[in-house]
Amino acid sequence: MIADGSEGDGMAEERGLTVEAIISALSEVYDPEYPISIVDLGLIRGVEIDGGVVRVKLTFTSLGCPCTELICDDIRARLSRIGGVKRVEIEEVFDRWDASAISRKGREVLRNLGVI
Amino acid sequence: MVTDSALLERIRAGKLVERPEHANERYIEGLKRTLIVSADTELISAPAYLRAAQDAPNINAYISALGIIQDELGHAHIAYRLLRDLGVDTDALVYERRPEEFKHPYAFDVPLESWTELVVANAFYDRAGFVLLGDVFRHTSYGPWKRALVKVDREENFHLRHGERWMSILAQDPERKEELQRAVDWMFVLTLEWFGLPDHLKRHTEQISYGLKGKTNDQLRQEWMSTTVPFCESLGLRVPAHYDDRTGQYVIDVPFPAEFDAERKRWLFERGPITWEQVLERWRKRGPANGELVGAIQRGYAQLRRAIAS
Repeated sequence: MIADGSEGDGMAEERGLTVEAIISALSEVYDPEYPISIVDLGLIRGVEIDGGVVRVKLTFTSLGCPCTELICDDIRARLSRIGGVKRVEIEEVFDRWDASAISRKGREVLRNLGVI
Repeated sequence: MVTDSALLERIRAGKLVERPEHANERYIEGLKRTLIVSADTELISAPAYLRAAQDAPNINAYISALGIIQDELGHAHIAYRLLRDLGVDTDALVYERRPEEFKHPYAFDVPLESWTELVVANAFYDRAGFVLLGDVFRHTSYGPWKRALVKVDREENFHLRHGERWMSILAQDPERKEELQRAVDWMFVLTLEWFGLPDHLKRHTEQISYGLKGKTNDQLRQEWMSTTVPFCESLGLRVPAHYDDRTGQYVIDVPFPAEFDAERKRWLFERGPITWEQVLERWRKRGPANGELVGAIQRGYAQLRRAIAS
């Protein structure tokens, strides 16, 4: 098992994998364009843990999102750094997304950048 | 309009120019020239990238390329809008200039003909744009441009990542890696040229004291190499430049500037260095794709005008 030095992950490792620990790690995965996490952007539609397999349900802001591959790469890279994660499965669910899915914090970031 | 000394005092004090009344004619003319180069570059990159995007290896890759093209058109729109606010007739600028009058870098006039060349362009050309606009963002004294660039800067980040990610993917396949190396061979030096005349031939005093740019051409060229060279080396790609520990600078290992065969996309290094006067002459003549790219932008406008006239 590889320790990555981050305190949050160490704790997750001791307690075993939890959905909260996965969400917390996903909060460090940022939209490839704007400094807003994919959790704050409202893209995560479910997390399941099955032994060492983590399943993430992911939607995008639009069907024609140009960043789908980058986002999936980043999710895999971040989650596979967590001790105990053997495989990451991403299901692209294409659930309806609109601006109401953005968290209050995320909204503030995007407003400061002149995006919304 | 204010006097030159009042304007320089304002800029030195770190106060932004918000309206032409805060500046003088020389400042506004310099600003317009800089904005036209930026707007034309963003605009012409769209048809240049679109042509090569047809070669995308899968639908997600194609959508990524289209997303980038859409961003570039948005960035062009921002810069033309700033020009319009300064009283420039932007319809005439976009639709009525002759192709050779456009101010985008010569590099875009050399056609991008494959997915490989497109992703190298995203990594090299968009990195050059990122370096140049990042400098404008940090140093510009023109408030409206500074604010507009916040969004542009973020979007260019995605373009770079897209280009570098795909270069990494292609580099893993020996056959594609050779193709990648061929693209790097002609595109690396073309991007070095993009930054323009070296400092000993060009004085930037006015642009810098007016706060239209912060760093000199050579400094910006160095900044571009400082990320591009290590990135290419990490993929095992050869680039004609290396870092010199002693001076702390990147050194170009081929004759520069040099003669370029645009039809065959090949540098004629064996003929030795040429003068920047010769480079400027090549730039003025523009490259093989110039007419096609500008034509793609102007086609609809020309059709509409003919339809109205008939």
